Formats: sequence, structure tokens, C-alpha cells
Amino acid sequence: MTRKQKKLIAAISVFSVFFGIYPAANAMHIMEGYLPVSYCIAWGVLCLPFLVTGFMKIRRTLNENRRAITLLAMSGAFIFVISSLKIPSVTGSCSHMTGTGFGAILFGPCSVSILGVIVLVFQAILLAHGGLTTLGANTFSMAIAGPFVTYGIYRLCQKCRVNHMVSVFLGAALGDLFTYCVTSVQLSLAYPSEAGGITASTVKFLSVFAPTQIPLAVVEGLLTTAIVICLESFAKSELNLIGYKKEA
Amino acid sequence: MIIIDKLCYTSGLRYVNTMEKFVFSMLTLLICIISKSITVSVVVLLVTGFLTVGKGGVSLSRYLKFMTIPLVFLFLSTTAILVNISHAPLDAFAIPLGSYYLTGSFYGLLKGARLIFTALAGVSCLYFLSFSTPITDILEVLKRLHVPGLIIELMLLIYRHIFIMLHTASAITNAQHSRLGNKNIRIAKKSFAAMMSAVFILSVKRGGALYNAMEARCYNGRIRVLSEERPAKYSEILFIAGFELFLVYCSRR
Repeated sequence: MTRKQKKLIAAISVFSVFFGIYPAANAMHIMEGYLPVSYCIAWGVLCLPFLVTGFMKIRRTLNENRRAITLLAMSGAFIFVISSLKIPSVTGSCSHMTGTGFGAILFGPCSVSILGVIVLVFQAILLAHGGLTTLGANTFSMAIAGPFVTYGIYRLCQKCRVNHMVSVFLGAALGDLFTYCVTSVQLSLAYPSEAGGITASTVKFLSVFAPTQIPLAVVEGLLTTAIVICLESFAKSELNLIGYKKEA
Repeated sequence: MIIIDKLCYTSGLRYVNTMEKFVFSMLTLLICIISKSITVSVVVLLVTGFLTVGKGGVSLSRYLKFMTIPLVFLFLSTTAILVNISHAPLDAFAIPLGSYYLTGSFYGLLKGARLIFTALAGVSCLYFLSFSTPITDILEVLKRLHVPGLIIELMLLIYRHIFIMLHTASAITNAQHSRLGNKNIRIAKKSFAAMMSAVFILSVKRGGALYNAMEARCYNGRIRVLSEERPAKYSEILFIAGFELFLVYCSRR
């Protein structure tokens, strides 16, 4: 086992050296045309219950308060913008945040699922990140799994009276990591390894993407925390408007 | 700011019937990923490339540059599919590493090659759509596909907000850069966070103002936009039908 670990570390370090000179590292969108049709459909169907719940929730909010539509639109655009801007990162290569974890902390995971789908469609069409056939799989990993984990951890930390900023950091970073794990599992389900099946293939995908995704998760956590600090000190009233409450 | 959005408005295919473009790219995409055949993918790559570059007027160098965007993902995940770590060597290649082998099979290599071609052809289909059709037109198509009005409304507003925000963000980033806001990593992170939160606050304010403006113009939950009627031409429909049939024929062989 230790030998295997050593090999894994060697492989990872080779890749990270390689990535030091690589131009761009995107968040893990599965590219257009990469998944077989059956998987595209299956992941899409799996997303449906979440999307319907999100849709109902948004419609209820809007029936109560019409004004919320511009706020929702604004939050969707904010998720898009935060994920399309280059962030300062360690290696000097440029990378992007997912932004959905941040959205989940501010707006709650249900509305983020709907906003997430819309953002993913725009990312596919306008930025060529992800694709239309892989929309279902990407939605599941980025707009559903990630935000729900982020929100869960965030609330759990608050319940356990962990420092507020620490809980934001943990939520965002672990949510990002979870997105990356889910994507790896999705890929390995579609392309199981010839030697070792799905488990081996999951390990392969995880280790191949680790050098870009693990630093990215940490950076995402740090930046989300920093943004939340800024917002809480300057934008109390706006935050109350969107229903974000800091539970002390 | 978003190059694709700029290019699609000046595309030579901008005024072709939107439904035609949508159906063409989606059908081609589906045939590509269902057939997974290299011939089909090469044909699709050539045809959509010709349509986007030749008819659409996107410069070739720019098109090729866009084709490299997904390459990192393609390279990494295909490596992960091709290379296995196991005790027993497979038939194509095997690099011994202690008691294990980094190994792959001919079947795996073939599968990988197919996957690369299919994925690239898929991307070229997506590019055909996004380089020729503005988002507002795509929203028209979605409306005809009976996507709920609320979602379309949200999409339209989000699309509008994206550009306002990107504009604000780039102005703030410029201001920060001119004041050495990206001197080192620590400061760069701090400025990024400050910039994003400023963008957030400004957009919440703008969102409120936008709603007031819309309500002053009798907004009742629907934004009605005039859409130009651009009838489909028979020659184009024939071309699309012929091309798809040809692809199905290719994939059968």
C-alpha cells in the first residue's frame, strides 16, 4: 500500500509540474460529447426532482414578492461572473471558481440548482465550458451535489458553533472538492477501467485531476471567505434583502 | 468581453432561421455521440468547421484557438481512460513499475481515439450554434420548446445582468491594477474579494433600479420582445435533411 501511495504521489507531482506551465485550468466541466447518450439522459433525469423543487420554490418566492425576480437574476449573473473571471492562483496559471458554493451559502441550495442550470447553459454557449449533452451530468455535480454539500457543512458548522468564517471556508472548499469527486465518479461510471473496473477508474480520474482541483478548492474556500467578510462589513442591508442571516 | 457573444452578432449565418440552426446542431451532435464513429466525427468536424469559418466568417486562427479550450480536459481524462495500473500487462503497451504495470490495450486505444474524435466533433457542433446564434434567439427556440416562462424570463434577465456585472468588474479591476492591486498573491486575493463584493453591492442596487424601471413600464411578469420572422428556406431544410441522412449512412457502415 505504501508503495502504491508513493507512486500516486510521484504521478501527482509529475502532473503538477506539467500544470505549472499549462495555460488554463477550468472548473471541472465535462466537455461536450464526452459522455455516452445513456449517461447523459440518466444524469439529466436524476437532476429533475431537484430542479422541480427549485422551480417550485422560486415560483413561491416570486408569488409572495415580485421584486425578488431581479434579485434572483442578479444572483444568477453573479454566479456566472464569479466563475468566468480569472482568479489569482498559486501556480501562475489562470483558473476559475465554481461560484455555486458561494451561491448556496448566500441564496440556499434549492434556488441555486435552478440558477446553476441556467448558468451552465450560458457557460456552454458563451464560454465553451461544458456542453449541452453533458448538461445533466454537469448540473448534478456543480449545481446540485456541490451546493448541497456546501450548505450542509455550513449549517452543520453553525450548529456546532464553529467560527463563522471557518464554516464558510470549510463549506466552500469541501463543496468544491465534492464537485470534483462527483465528476470523477461520473466519468468512471461511463468509462470503467479495463483492469479493476469502476473503482480503479475512479481513483485514476481523481488522481489525474487532483493537482488542479485540490489547490483550486483551497483558493475557492479562501476567496469565498474573503468575499463573505467584505459583504458582511459593507452590505448588511443588501444581505438581509436576499434572506441571508448570520446566525451568531 | 465575451468574444463568442460579439462574434455571433456579426456572423454570416446570423439571419438564418434559428430553429434550423438549432435542429441542425442538435441532431448532428446526437448522431455523433450515438454513433461514436471516427468517420462521422471527421465529416462533422469538416462540415461544421466550414460552416462556421467559411459561411459564418469567424477567422480560422480564432476558431482553432477556441477548439483548444477543452483540450486540457480532453487530454487529462483520456489519459486516465487509456492508462491502467494493474498486475497483468495488457496487449498494447506495458511499462513496468515495480510489481505493477502502466498498461493499456488495443481495444482501449481504439476507444480513446473514438472518444477524442467524438468529443471534438461535439464541440464543433456546439460552436456552430454559439458562433451563429445570439442568446436572445436561442431563448425564442426554448420558448417554442415549451420551457416554462419563468425560466426564460430569468435567463433573459441573467443574460442582461452578466454584461452589466462584467463591465463593472473590469472597471474595478483596471482601477486596482493601476494602483498595484495585484502586486503579490496575497494582495491580489484581497483585491479580488473586494472587487467581487463591490460588484455584488452595486448589482443589488442596480437590480432594484431595474425593477422600478420595468414596473414603470407596466411589467407584469413577462418581458415581451419583438422577434423577427425569418422563414426557413427549402434549400436549407433539404441540406440539413440530406446531411443528417448522410451521417446516419456513414455511421451504419
